Amino acid sequence: MKRIIWSFALAAACAIAPLSAGAQERVIRIGVVMPISGPASYFGVMGREGIDLALEQFKAGVNGYRLQVQYEDSACSPLQATNTVKRLLDQFKPHIVIGEECSDASLAIAPILEQAKVVQLNAGSVTMKLTESGYKYVFRIFPNAEQQSLPLAKVAYEKLKARTAVILHEKTNAGNDNAEGFEKPFVAMGGKVLAKIDFGRDVNDFTAIATRIASLGKVDVLPTFALEGQTVRLSQALAQARIVKGGGGNAVQMGSIWLPYGYDQKAGQASEGYVRIVQFDPTENRKVVQDFIKAFRVKYGADKVPTHINAHAYDAILLIVEAVRRGATDTESIRDRFTKLKDVEVTTGKITFDAKGQNSDLSVVHFVETQKDLSWKGLNWQ
Amino acid sequence: MSARLVSLLIAILVLAALPWLLPTPYWRGILVLCAMNVLLALSLNLVLGYTGQLNLGQSAFFAIGAYVSTILVKTYAWNFWLASLAAVAAAGLLGLALAAFAVRLRGHYLAIASLGFAVITYQVLVNWEKVTEGVRGIYGILPPVASTTGLFYLVAGITLVVYVLIDNLMRSPVGDTLRAIREDEVSAASLGVNGALWKAFAFGLGAAIAGLAGCFYPGFVGTLVPDAFNIIESFTMMAMVIVGGMGTMIGPVIGAIVLTFLPEVLRDFGEFRLMIYGLALTLVVLFMPGGIVQAWRTLLRSR
Amino acid sequence: MTDLLTLLVQQSVNGVYLGCLYVMVALGLTLIYGVLNQINFAHADFVTVGAFAALFTATRFGTKVLGLPDTGAYLLSMVAALGAGALLGLAINAAVFAPLRERGDELRPLIATIGVSVLLENFQLWLLGPIPYQFDSPFSLETIRIGRIFFTAQSVLVVVAAALAIVALYAFMKFTFLGKALRAVAQDRETAGLMGINPNLLIALTIVIASALAGVGGALLGPVLVLTPFAGATVIVKAFAIVIIGGFGNMQGTIIAGLLVGVIEAFTVQYLGSGLIDLVVFVLLLVMLVVRPTGLIAERKEENV
Repeated sequence: MKRIIWSFALAAACAIAPLSAGAQERVIRIGVVMPISGPASYFGVMGREGIDLALEQFKAGVNGYRLQVQYEDSACSPLQATNTVKRLLDQFKPHIVIGEECSDASLAIAPILEQAKVVQLNAGSVTMKLTESGYKYVFRIFPNAEQQSLPLAKVAYEKLKARTAVILHEKTNAGNDNAEGFEKPFVAMGGKVLAKIDFGRDVNDFTAIATRIASLGKVDVLPTFALEGQTVRLSQALAQARIVKGGGGNAVQMGSIWLPYGYDQKAGQASEGYVRIVQFDPTENRKVVQDFIKAFRVKYGADKVPTHINAHAYDAILLIVEAVRRGATDTESIRDRFTKLKDVEVTTGKITFDAKGQNSDLSVVHFVETQKDLSWKGLNWQ
Repeated sequence: MSARLVSLLIAILVLAALPWLLPTPYWRGILVLCAMNVLLALSLNLVLGYTGQLNLGQSAFFAIGAYVSTILVKTYAWNFWLASLAAVAAAGLLGLALAAFAVRLRGHYLAIASLGFAVITYQVLVNWEKVTEGVRGIYGILPPVASTTGLFYLVAGITLVVYVLIDNLMRSPVGDTLRAIREDEVSAASLGVNGALWKAFAFGLGAAIAGLAGCFYPGFVGTLVPDAFNIIESFTMMAMVIVGGMGTMIGPVIGAIVLTFLPEVLRDFGEFRLMIYGLALTLVVLFMPGGIVQAWRTLLRSR
Repeated sequence: MTDLLTLLVQQSVNGVYLGCLYVMVALGLTLIYGVLNQINFAHADFVTVGAFAALFTATRFGTKVLGLPDTGAYLLSMVAALGAGALLGLAINAAVFAPLRERGDELRPLIATIGVSVLLENFQLWLLGPIPYQFDSPFSLETIRIGRIFFTAQSVLVVVAAALAIVALYAFMKFTFLGKALRAVAQDRETAGLMGINPNLLIALTIVIASALAGVGGALLGPVLVLTPFAGATVIVKAFAIVIIGGFGNMQGTIIAGLLVGVIEAFTVQYLGSGLIDLVVFVLLLVMLVVRPTGLIAERKEENV
């Protein structure tokens, strides 16, 4: 028993120690809550790359303030996310927290940060609830489910003249929300959803799913909401079953900003004719995008192209820097500056928060179609 | 005063003092988590340690406790305690139901059957969206007491009561019967012991206690999603029992404390955290086959 | 062929192929169980390691250094995956199974291998990152069509490889001295020891063979899986279900159960919904345990139940 008490005392000492350090310095403390270990680290590892790059660029400080970041591994789980946020609040006392990526975890930490009056800047969750629950300290630069799915439904019905759809989505909060966000307006316009097919993240083989789709009759569009790895396999199976254009069929696979640049090369011929929304487009000529790519390659390797996850995380820091430039010094003033930002230019577009804290400026979001040579053709649809 | 009474008093004092030794919300939260994990480890030890049934599906009963209590409170506006009572009963009854056919199975068959039960439970939580909200999850769940310290006292107090009850049960003739079944079911049967019945009893009781732990989980996190109960959770519970010392009373308690605090203390190791965790788990099993309790006793004896 | 018939045949073909994927993973598990009565929870991670070993051998060494054509590089990569699997088998036997064997319990090796699994997955994560690797074999993008039925060349390769592995294992067990000795050890370790068979060596051999099989499985499954450090983990629980449905340690049973689960999965996707796959498979598992706890094929050895 004595040993246990000892270890507790030691743990308590560890917990208190960091508080005394660095009290005098002018810093903006940024807590980053992301999945860094486990299967969901797909998001966290890329997010970290983007943030590390931005930090390096602002090493000298902004407006006399140094940016200090602490990463916490929240493993995409509400329990871990709430634990780590409490840990941050106790030990690091952040002015702002970036995170989480997964919708469940983002929703779980929102009330804690709201109560602590610390700004939550989200750069990766789609769930509507996050900005619809009336939180005052939540800001999101990532397009929510509606912002992603509504334009898809419109383009499907009006431009592609689609009347039938099969919706494919991973069985997660994000997948569900996106699927529903497509279904409702598409049906309201007069389209018909032949089937909504969901699958866990542990599904590898999509041949049976493709076979089922082939048996459903004539399908015009296949809105797909899954991560890159599964979408590659899915597209290949759809091509083999001759459903999509890439396999000699007629259906068009559609997708949202889930897929990074480079998906087309991985999926190969199967991706021909894929129509999707992109927000972060490495081929875009805006200076901020090209500078970002250049710096990213210097830091992480000449053959690497940043993904939208890299870019969103990078943008989160750019946004904080912008707030500090405009005089923000603590969490309240960051919140205040955020509400007043207008058309701040970042790699994933421009940012203006609406009253709910959702980025409402989607002027950069645009449609592209994958060509036979796997390059993108921009489509003039908004 | 007997030695047991003295240790009980000390335990109460230590529990009372803990939130003041770890006075931040984060560490107090970890204390609540730790108390829940101790309860879970105790529940699994009853099945695994005392009757030797290889149960890999304990997370299912934890989940049933969490979901039944939350749904009754949230959807049907039940009182928390009444809902918890119903949740414990539901977990216990399902445990008995599984036990009814699981007692026929032994060793790895039971292991995989219970694992299968956990997978099915998880899948039901994901797919029965009308009732469970599926992967969307349930949000804004309130704990039975508002303050973290209060919640810790509540869960730790209940855990202590459960500990004393199980301890007394194991010292009673029932405990002897259970141990006799674990050691040799055939010779126990020749003495007129109905092995199947007693094993089902232990299984059901273990399930009910896991369900009890589940009642406190949703309020603590505030969010309830099926992913909290994937099969990895069962392995974590099992690891707690093994690392501490299976089939002893104090072993699972120590195991739960170590395995709750270890990942938190390792947080500063970032991406190496789970590597260290995996390695530590393997090494403990290899070099401390009887868990920390046995290693400690061996150390004392060798002096 | 009518549409319905085409559909039924197509889903059966999909199912058999999927079943063969599972068999490739489950075979090693059941082999170890048959001889050792132990579960290797890290088995699926050996599949992952095999897949990565194959990928890097094919792309970094086979085509670039040796200048082999794609097919040659892929064949070479299978050898590398086999070697990687065998090495892991040696390692896990020395580190976990050999030291824990003496104590003769079922639980601790299982927990120890869970630890190994966590370690391996997160070590690979640290080394390789979480972004899925693209592993296309020369066969995986080649579609073969017979009438309206389609399948990839890779799936033919998987089915052939699974069949070869089964035949080779069967012949090894039935006709070689080592195989006979293994069966003797499986049936009665002590007596086998008295007959001059060194059970430790044979158990090590079993684990190495099973792990090498997992490695080759990785080379075959790599172009099918979403290849991350956690790829193998997505199939391990189902592989356990298959091993149980087939009757622990029974190779024929495992093969039939694997194919059965594959076909059931394909038809679940068609008629019930892909979100229900696990539910259907594990309800089947529980039903099997109630109705026929010895597995699909009745075994002489009844002591496990």
